[in-house]
Amino acid sequence: MKRCKPLLGTYVEISIQQENSDEAISLAFAAIEKVQSLMSFHDQQSELSKINHEAHLRTIAIDPWTCQIIRIAQDIHQHSGGLFNCGIGHRLVEAKLLPGNIDRAHHEFGGIEDLQFVSQECVISSLPLCLDLGGIAKGFAVDMAVNTLKCNGIHSGSVNAGGDIRIFGNEAQTIHIRNPKVPSNVIEIGSLMNGAIATSGLYFSNRDQQQSYIINPLASKDVDAHQVFSESFSIVANECVYADALTKVLILSKQQNHPCFKLYQAQAIQIAA
Amino acid sequence: MSTPLIVQAKIYASAEQAQKILFPNKSFSKTPILITEDLQEKMRSASSIRHPFQGDRIWRATDGSWFIIDEVVGKHEMISYAVGINPQGNITGIEILEYVESYGYEVGDAQWRKQFIGKNVNDPIKLNQDIQNIGGATLSCKHITDGVKRVVLLYEITLKTPSLAARPK
Repeated sequence: MKRCKPLLGTYVEISIQQENSDEAISLAFAAIEKVQSLMSFHDQQSELSKINHEAHLRTIAIDPWTCQIIRIAQDIHQHSGGLFNCGIGHRLVEAKLLPGNIDRAHHEFGGIEDLQFVSQECVISSLPLCLDLGGIAKGFAVDMAVNTLKCNGIHSGSVNAGGDIRIFGNEAQTIHIRNPKVPSNVIEIGSLMNGAIATSGLYFSNRDQQQSYIINPLASKDVDAHQVFSESFSIVANECVYADALTKVLILSKQQNHPCFKLYQAQAIQIAA
Repeated sequence: MSTPLIVQAKIYASAEQAQKILFPNKSFSKTPILITEDLQEKMRSASSIRHPFQGDRIWRATDGSWFIIDEVVGKHEMISYAVGINPQGNITGIEILEYVESYGYEVGDAQWRKQFIGKNVNDPIKLNQDIQNIGGATLSCKHITDGVKRVVLLYEITLKTPSLAARPK
């Protein structure tokens, strides 16, 4: 059976082999909704907003899932030499790709590396932050949904959050990727079993005449920060959170064999436009 | 003219199935609403969705819950979806019923859309059925967000007040 809901700003599809498992699927969607409510930049009540508004002023207690994603983001930040950094929210706000107002005159924003754990589930920041988890939360949510399905007796299936996919169980499934040159065409890239794939491309954003939302965190000037490209970049990894985050490292490094891919057992796929 | 190229045509749930998902163990009766030109216009300006809302896909439970089906049509996609609203007026869930993505043809064309109407999960559209897992750049669900805005407005203006809404078939 297959269900689909609008979540995380996109369409999330959960597909499983077993029939009559509505409850397990509902719980998996609830896991994704939880990720959304914890990590949404748009929602002023989310834990992410709380971190952005207050972490430089006081210690903040956060949910174990938020802790988990921050630790993963910090780990990837470190091993990618800073190419992956969630501390780029202000760039997206300035480009009107995210809501809000930024007072640049009074703030020098830090990055994910400035967030310190003072205990297992409490953080504080040395600098004001404008973190955006858009480059990693979708993959994380897919993983949480898959874990929920497994815990509720689902043996095999897939979760697809707007193109970031994880397949689990003992069945290989064929994967197609949109052709960046003609996004209405798909390219069969092979089959995947017990793994995840995430893809970044600007073809929809270019079609809708939007500025690129792929930000180079190492760029010092705003004009250099927005990465423009026409290809598509995919990463295959064991878990979707790594697949999602590492597409940014691939785009920015243009290195199919960036050392951190080996570390995370990830493989890069680049499709020319 | 070339054949329209359909990338995805997926049917997720029928109206009845979505009703059971959003409101398990609750029974609904169909409660069509006449959508006046004035209301249509209000829904249009609240949501920026131009194609008219159809008032014949609305159901009500005795406790004041509502189940509403609507569809949004973008340049390249057509999506029908169901919204559940509880007696307090809060959205309890949104479920996608059908998702059709097409290029090389305007999905706004009513004739083209007709081929999908009335299909259900047991009668899958015979196109690209083997293409299940499509990866790629994230597709925004903005159309649904807009669609839900007009459903909420409909609730506020018409359904919330029982005297106006009690208009069974």
